[in-house]
Formats: sequence, C-alpha cells, structure tokens
Amino acid sequence: MKLTVNGTEHDVDVEADMPLLWILRDELNITGPKYGCGVAQCGACTVHVDGMAVRSCQLPASNIEEGAEITTIEGLGQPGSLHAVQEAWVEHQVAQCGYCQSGQIMQAAMLLDFDPDPSDEKIDAVMSGNLCRCGTYVRIRAAVKSAAAKLNEA
Amino acid sequence: MSRAGTIARRTFLIGSAAVAGGVAFGVFAAQRPFPNPNLDDLPKGSASFNPWVIIDSDKVTLIATHADKGQGVFSAQAALIAEELDIELDQVEVSFGVPDRAYYNIAATDAMAGYPLYDNSPTAERVRGFLGGIVKLALPMMATGGSSAMPDVYDKLRHAGACARETLKLAASQQSGVPIEQLKTARGAVILPDGTELPYTKLAGLAAQIEPVTRAKLRDPKEWRLVGKPMERVDIVQKSTGTMTYGIDFRTDGMKYAAIKVNPRQGGAMNSYDASAAQAMPGVDKILEITGGVAVVADNTWRAIQASEAITFDWGPAPYPAEQETHWKVLSDSFTEDSLNAEARVVGDVEAAEGEVVTGEYRSPYIAHAPLEPLNATILVTETRVDIWTGHQIQQFVEQIVAEITGIDQDNVHLHNMFMGGSFGHRLEFDFIRQAAEIANQMRGTPIQMTYSREEDFAHDFPRHITMGRGVAKVKDGKVTSMDVQIAGQSVMRSQMGRMGMSLPGPDAQLHEGAWDAPMFNLPNLRVRSYITQALAPVSSWRAVGAGPNVFIYETLLDEAIHAAGADPLQERIRLMGHDVSVKVLEAVGELSSWNGPKVGENRGRGVAYGFSFGVPVATVVEVVMTGNGIKIDKAWMAADVGKVIDPVNLENLAEGGIVFGLGHAINCEITYSDGMAQQTNYHAHEAMRLYQCPEIQFRALENGEKIRGFGEPPIPPSAPALGNAIFAATGQRIREMPFNKHIDFV
Amino acid sequence: MRTFALAAPMSVFVSALAVPALAADDAPAVVNIPAEGSVSESQGLEAFQRIYEVASHPRCANCHVDDRNIPMWSGPSYGETRPHGMNIKAGESRIGAEFLPCQTCHITSDDLDTEPHASPRFGIEWQLAPVEFVWFDKSALEICEQLKDPDRNGGRDWMGLVDHLIHDASLNGPVLWGWNPGGTREPAPYSLQQHVDDMIAWGIAGQPCPTE
Repeated sequence: MKLTVNGTEHDVDVEADMPLLWILRDELNITGPKYGCGVAQCGACTVHVDGMAVRSCQLPASNIEEGAEITTIEGLGQPGSLHAVQEAWVEHQVAQCGYCQSGQIMQAAMLLDFDPDPSDEKIDAVMSGNLCRCGTYVRIRAAVKSAAAKLNEA
Repeated sequence: MSRAGTIARRTFLIGSAAVAGGVAFGVFAAQRPFPNPNLDDLPKGSASFNPWVIIDSDKVTLIATHADKGQGVFSAQAALIAEELDIELDQVEVSFGVPDRAYYNIAATDAMAGYPLYDNSPTAERVRGFLGGIVKLALPMMATGGSSAMPDVYDKLRHAGACARETLKLAASQQSGVPIEQLKTARGAVILPDGTELPYTKLAGLAAQIEPVTRAKLRDPKEWRLVGKPMERVDIVQKSTGTMTYGIDFRTDGMKYAAIKVNPRQGGAMNSYDASAAQAMPGVDKILEITGGVAVVADNTWRAIQASEAITFDWGPAPYPAEQETHWKVLSDSFTEDSLNAEARVVGDVEAAEGEVVTGEYRSPYIAHAPLEPLNATILVTETRVDIWTGHQIQQFVEQIVAEITGIDQDNVHLHNMFMGGSFGHRLEFDFIRQAAEIANQMRGTPIQMTYSREEDFAHDFPRHITMGRGVAKVKDGKVTSMDVQIAGQSVMRSQMGRMGMSLPGPDAQLHEGAWDAPMFNLPNLRVRSYITQALAPVSSWRAVGAGPNVFIYETLLDEAIHAAGADPLQERIRLMGHDVSVKVLEAVGELSSWNGPKVGENRGRGVAYGFSFGVPVATVVEVVMTGNGIKIDKAWMAADVGKVIDPVNLENLAEGGIVFGLGHAINCEITYSDGMAQQTNYHAHEAMRLYQCPEIQFRALENGEKIRGFGEPPIPPSAPALGNAIFAATGQRIREMPFNKHIDFV
Repeated sequence: MRTFALAAPMSVFVSALAVPALAADDAPAVVNIPAEGSVSESQGLEAFQRIYEVASHPRCANCHVDDRNIPMWSGPSYGETRPHGMNIKAGESRIGAEFLPCQTCHITSDDLDTEPHASPRFGIEWQLAPVEFVWFDKSALEICEQLKDPDRNGGRDWMGLVDHLIHDASLNGPVLWGWNPGGTREPAPYSLQQHVDDMIAWGIAGQPCPTE
C-alpha cells in the first residue's frame, strides 16, 4: 500500500491488521511516535491522520484510507523550525523523560487547531487520554495555554 | 563493639562479599584517581585532561556519565563542568561516555553508613569516607540511584572543568608567551590581554602534550554564570520534537526485532511450549529458548509480539505464595522477635510513657515501576566484541553480565548508554539485559533489539515491596508524647542484590528508612522497629524505596495522634522537630499554603506530611474537597531543602512531578498476585494520575542544608500521607491502606 | 411460520414476506415471525426479561447513558463500576466532538477483533446512543417503557426495533459487537439470534411491560 507520511509517499507491504504505529516505527524508521501500551491507554503513539489526532497503535493498515495525510511529531516541526506548541513545550521545559511528549504535543496541536482558546475544562478533557508517568501535567497545562497565546498572536 | 566499629565490620562484609581480598590495600589507595578512560582511543590532536572533558579541533565534549531517566541530570552534569570551564551549553556536545571505574559513584554508599543523613558529625563523615574508600577499592561502581548523582558530581565535575580550563590556559600561555596570570577565559576560548580569542578547539593539539593540571581552586558560587539559575536543558528540544533517540528507537543495519514470553510466575520454570503456530507467522525468523521462556525473532517488533502471543506454554508454579492474601498473612505474622530486622531507634521509653493511646495498622501494596518506555535492549554479539545499546543505571554490571553470557572478554563488551523513557528503579534490574544477551548470543553477527510488550513489562516488573505497619502513639496535655512504630516487609535489598549474585549481610535499612531518621528530636519517646519476612514476590527499588511506605505509616500515625491531642497538624510537627533545616521547611510550606488549620470549609480539608529521605527534608500540604462523586485533589504545596539548587526550573519540575507521582500511585495503583501472576497487565489497571486529576502545585526550594542533595526521590514519600491526612480533614474518614481508592472514590 | 435470513435492513423484507426463504449462510441473524396471537402475554414478558438482561448488560448500557454524556466502565472486565477513565466526555454531540472525539481511540473498522483492554471498535463510528435511549442504571419497567415510546426509541414500532437490530448488525455495528466484543470483555447474554427472537416475541405479544 501507499502511505503519505509528513508529505512523503512510501510504499509498504504489510498485513492488513498491522497498526500504523509499527508501520511508522519498524517499517519506515519514523520513531517519534512511541510504543507505550499498545491499547490506547497512554497516547504516546498519537499522530494526525487528515488533521485528526489518532492513537496509531489502534489503527490497522486496512483502515488507512488511500491518500490519507499522516503527520507525526517529526512533521509538526523540527529543531530550528518549531511548531508553536513545540516552542511552548521548550519554553516551559515540560519534558522530564520526554517519552510521552510526542503524543502530548500531537494531541495538544490538534486541540488548538480546533479550538484556539480552550477552557481549562476542555484542556483537562482532551489531554487526559495522554499518560505522563513523570507527572509533568502542571507544565503541560501551562504550555497549552502559552501555545494558544502564540497561535492567536500569529 | 562501638557503633562505628559495628558499621565498619558490616561494610567490610559488603566489600569482601563482592571482591575477595579487595579490602586489604587500605584506605590510602582509595584517594588515588583511576586512569582517564578517554585516553584509550583518543585520536591524535585531541585532548582529554580528565575523564569528563574531551576537546578536539572541532568540538568540546563533556562527559555526563550519570544515567538520565528524565530527572535532568544529563544537563545538570554538563552545566557543572561548563561553569568552571567557561563555556556555554550551546557550544558543547554532551555524552554519556563509556562505562569505566573512573566514574564510580562516591556518594552512593553514604546512606549505608548507618548514620542518618542529617548527621554531619565528624564520626559520621569519617565512617562515610571510610565506606566510600572501601567500596572504591572493592567495587568501584558507576551507578545512578538513591538520588546520589548530585552529591556525587557536585564538586568533582566543577573541579574537572576548572582543571581543564587551567590546562588550556597553560597551553595558551605557551603558545602566546603571555603569562598565565594575564589570561582570561570565556565562551570556550582563552582570551589574551589584547582581546585575541584562542578557542579551546584550537588549543587542543598543544594542550594534549601538556601534563594536565590536577588541582584548581573552585569559584565562589557568587560568581556562577549558569549553576543556580534557570537553564534550558540540553535535551529539551530533542524531547519536544520526537528527535531524541531512546533505547527503543535505536536502529542499525541488519537489525532484527525480538519479543519474549517468560513465565509470568516470576522465576518459575517453563515445562514445555508449542511454537508451531508462531513459527509460521509473517516475518518470523527464529524462535529461541531463553532462561525461563522463549524469544521470537522477527523483522518487526509487532510481528514478534504477535507471534509470541501465538505460542502456548505449560508454566511451572511460582516460587512464592500464589495468592495475595497469603502475602499479607506472612507480613502480619512477622511482628515477632525472630523476625526482627532492627531496633533502629529507641528514645525514652514508649512502654512507660503515659497518655491517651492511639493505634493503627497500615498497608502499602506492591506497585509497578511501569516506565512508559517498555524495557528494551539492543545487542550485537560477534566473535570478538559485543555492543549494547540500552539505558541502564548500573552500567558496568551490564557489561559484566553480558560478558559472562557471551564468553567475550569484558574489555570487549561495550555499553552505549541511552536516554530512558523513565525507570523509577526498573532499570536497575538486569533480566532484560540477560534476555537480550541470550538471544543475541544465539544470533551472533545480527543486531537484536528485544522489546518487552507492555503486558510482559507488567508481568516481569519487580514491584515495590508490600509493607505493613503497626503503630501505638500516646498523647497528653494536647501534645504527642510517644510513638512506637513497627514495620514489617520483605527485604528489597536482599531481593535486588540476590539477583546480582550478591548477599546483604546485616539488616536492611530500607525497612525503616524514613521512619527511624525523622528528626523529631523533641518527641520524648520514640521506638522504631522493623521486621523482615521470608522472600515473597521478587521486589526492587521503586522510586524512594523504603521511605515511600515508611513515611506513609509514620506520618499517618502521627496525624492520628495529633488529631487525638487536639493540636494543629503543622504546628505540632514544627514543635516536635528538633532539626532546624526541617523546621524551616515546615514553616515554608505553612507560609506558601497560608496554613490556617486542616479544616478550610465545608467538605474541604488540608493535610500536611513531612518526609526525610536521601538527606532531603520535604514538607507537603494537600487540599481536597469531597464532591458528590468523590474526592477531588485541588491544590498542593511543597517545600524542600536540597542544600544547593543547580537549576530552579528543573527542580520545580521534579517537585511537581514528584507530587503527581506520589499522589497518583497512592490513589489507584497496586499489583496483586493470583495464581502466582500479577493481575494488572496494563495501565488500565495501574493508572496513577491523569492530567484532569492534577492539582495546582506551588513549590519553594530552600538552601539551608549543609550538603547538596539529589531530588529525584525525596518528593515522593510525603505525598501519600499528606493526601490521606487531607481526606481525613475533609471527610472524617481515616484511610490506612493504599491504594486509597479501595476505600473512597476520586474524581 | 416463515423464515428469512436477514443480512440487509428489515424494511427490505417486510415488503417481501411472500418471497421464498433466503439463504441463511452469511446472515447475522434469522427472522422467524410467528403468527399473530401465538405468543402469550406471559411469554412476551419472559422475552422482555431477556431483552432487559441484554439492554442492561455493560456491553450495551455503558454507552446508553444520560445527558451527562459520560460513557461508563462497568462489568466483570472493569471491576467496580465507574465512569470511562481518562476524563472522557462525549459532549452533546455524543461523539466527543466538543472534547476528545471517540474515534481518537475507537477506530471504525470491520475487523472486530481487539486485544484485551484495547479500545474496542466496530464497523460504524463509535458514539453514545442518543440521549433519549438511556438504559444505564434503569429498571426493567423504565427500559420497557422507553423501548415502546416512539419519542424515545427513534420513532419505531416493534418491527422497527427488529429492523434496527438487523440493520446495525449488518454494518458490523454495536449490536453485532455486543456479542463479539473481543479481548476479555464479557459478551452480552444469550445471542443476537435469541435477542432478535425475543424482540419479535415481545412485539407479537403486544409489548407487555413488567409491573415494576
């Protein structure tokens, strides 16, 4: 099948039930999306499919529509050209171990894409599917708000 | 025998248990530094003046050997060197370096010396120094654990930076003819009086010819540019862009991926298995036996895991009681003379003390480490050399173990330490290293990346030990007058060291840590006894180790006593505390939270708790409100004294995260065994805290302590009792067992 | 009595009662419509009791929740009953559009098999049932009255309800999934076939409701 990831088209030959996460990580060596639980409990594998945040560990190859645009954390922004959400994450020094942060950032980016000025209640609802074992939630909340402010200025 | 004598004997036993005869050389030799390992393969034109600084014509590399599991020590180590080297963090590369005895941890043994860490008396210091010297000779161990990284490196890395700087100045002086006294250094260059800048990289070739400076005076902290001020962590951009390479992200040509299935009854045998279905599955290359189970090698991790799940097994029984209930029974039967681990503290006479009696029994469950990056290791074994890519906290043991498994000389076994997606203590263990090595050794020439599925990670965690506490407190005239605390549990250290082939002679201090050394010197009667049980499920150091359960027991009993006395929970703790640094910490948390008693409105309450662990006094206040659907944790405040703050931003992050970690596990996490297997298989059943449950948090750092301390673990212990005490204040319900959600709902 | 295998919406077949029986091979369920008057009221009540056991079962009731719009986690695989973890709020949209869309985790897929404890999925978009269809924590009488009330059942008579079951099952929707939930989840009791039979029997008997 053909797969468009971060604007680049790839040919992959995998079983129908192989989840997108593993196509990205082990077939295409795109390792920003992380394996944490495999069952949509942690959110570390979150990517965007056509602009919607999706737990890539739950999306089988057979359910990826032809022509779908897949964006991973690497496609959101790179060192030197950070996305506003990533900038906020750096400014607030959110990460400790950092392993969940790819997923947190992708989830936050979609949240702000749909609601540039989210309420506290909404942040608490949207970001609670992403587990952080180090407990950086105070800084995640602050960074989401900073990122919102940046995006609104821009 | 004198106290110091007893301790010395015990430390000799530790030493001789590890390397026979190693102690015979005496303490003097311990003061000589080990050779610089960077010199072994140093290219021509490069200079390395000591184990922590390498300079070549292109770049300056700082060696930060302590493992980084998220606590930020990678960046902090670099900052300490850069401070004295006069270079900025954006001008250097930072590397974990190569495992070597030169990097042995000089602070890791401080807590084993038998003196509480607030005791800085000459005797205590001598015993610590003596113990450190013996360990250096017998077992110079490069290790990250016990919140010891900062105490280990605080002086030596600044010294390394200063010595390197002075050597570079010598070189510059030779090259320019300008006397050394007239040279300055800044931004990675030696600056001549006329303003000419000689970059360190250009001086490397010459400096490599010079005998390095080995003594240099450290700067007054008032002159620091970096340390003590907010810094941008050197790993923060990578960790915000998905470009950080964790062990699980390592890729190399020809690599294959492996998954394992090992008896979920920890340590039990594999009687038989049938892998015929798995063998035929897509991408499967090989199915191999390893100790206690089977590995599937495939061309992709997911395929390896899928195939491993298609194997059927006949597993042998667990070498410990199959049912959780029995584990608790063993603990409750262990409060006997025969099982006494230590009478760790006796002050006054708790039996004779008069007053109203308050009693309680407390339980702390098994808890999984469950770092978000599942355990993994990549190993390539050839006929002459082994390379290992993984994140580990005890680097040289990894090399030693892999050398034993592969039969390759340890000098040719090379660990490339990687960033870790958390550890919380699980990466002090070696099973995953052994398993990956056994697979790679059967597939010589092919790099093998072995990854635990999350379910395998939960099944083969070595959780925090279960603990039971019994307390009798007495109160009189509005004051707490006596605390008699008994703690029973299995020995974490015996379990953990046993898996490393070592024995722990003498008592296990972790069974009373955090209770025996609470410096409440104004409490006239105190007795702390700990009891050691038979081995139960295999257990390991879980962030804060013994202090976690023990502070929960001690501080909950204390809170019950203070309530019975009718005293204020914060004021009474301040009154009992005889340790000035701790008093200031309690006062600070009172000020920060505008403490005005435990009851702060209808259905709303506050709890305070104090914990002393790894030399750091920490006081935490938690505020909760009882809603129609359960307890909501609204706010938390913490004050702590780490002696010296390296990076206030990172420290605050550790404080916030520590509160979240401590509270989260207290509300809903436990591992229970049934049929010998952990019943919790993934995060749905061992969730800890999520963002919506996270309180507002304020933190204040104090610097009154005499020594610098690490802060990875100390925020954890007081969180749980502060929450339990707050729930009592809000609802009148006293919870004496974790996880609290067995007794009350949380929203 | 006539027997039809229904792989397509009931509406197709209601108008085709005179057509010879269709092959039952790939059908999710077979519709056996007994003659009018052949099911007594007490048999109808027994059938409803089984319908109630299905409707109130966690596989069904967890997403038939009230206007707080919060799905529930209950049943043997969850232990204690509690709201869906992770602070999930489906919103008035009932698909999470206002907060975190259900589909972030619950993928739409015809491949119903899922790992234990993974987010289950089925062939149509994951969502809460319309708010009028609340079953969670409701008594047999309350659910019975709701099922009979066209204002609270999507404007359906009993045949419409049967049609809905068959239609949903034919799309690999939640009705079919309820009996094939994958992982270690406990399926709804009885079977889809029994449930369809019970719905018909209850309908033919005049949709009798229990007294309490």
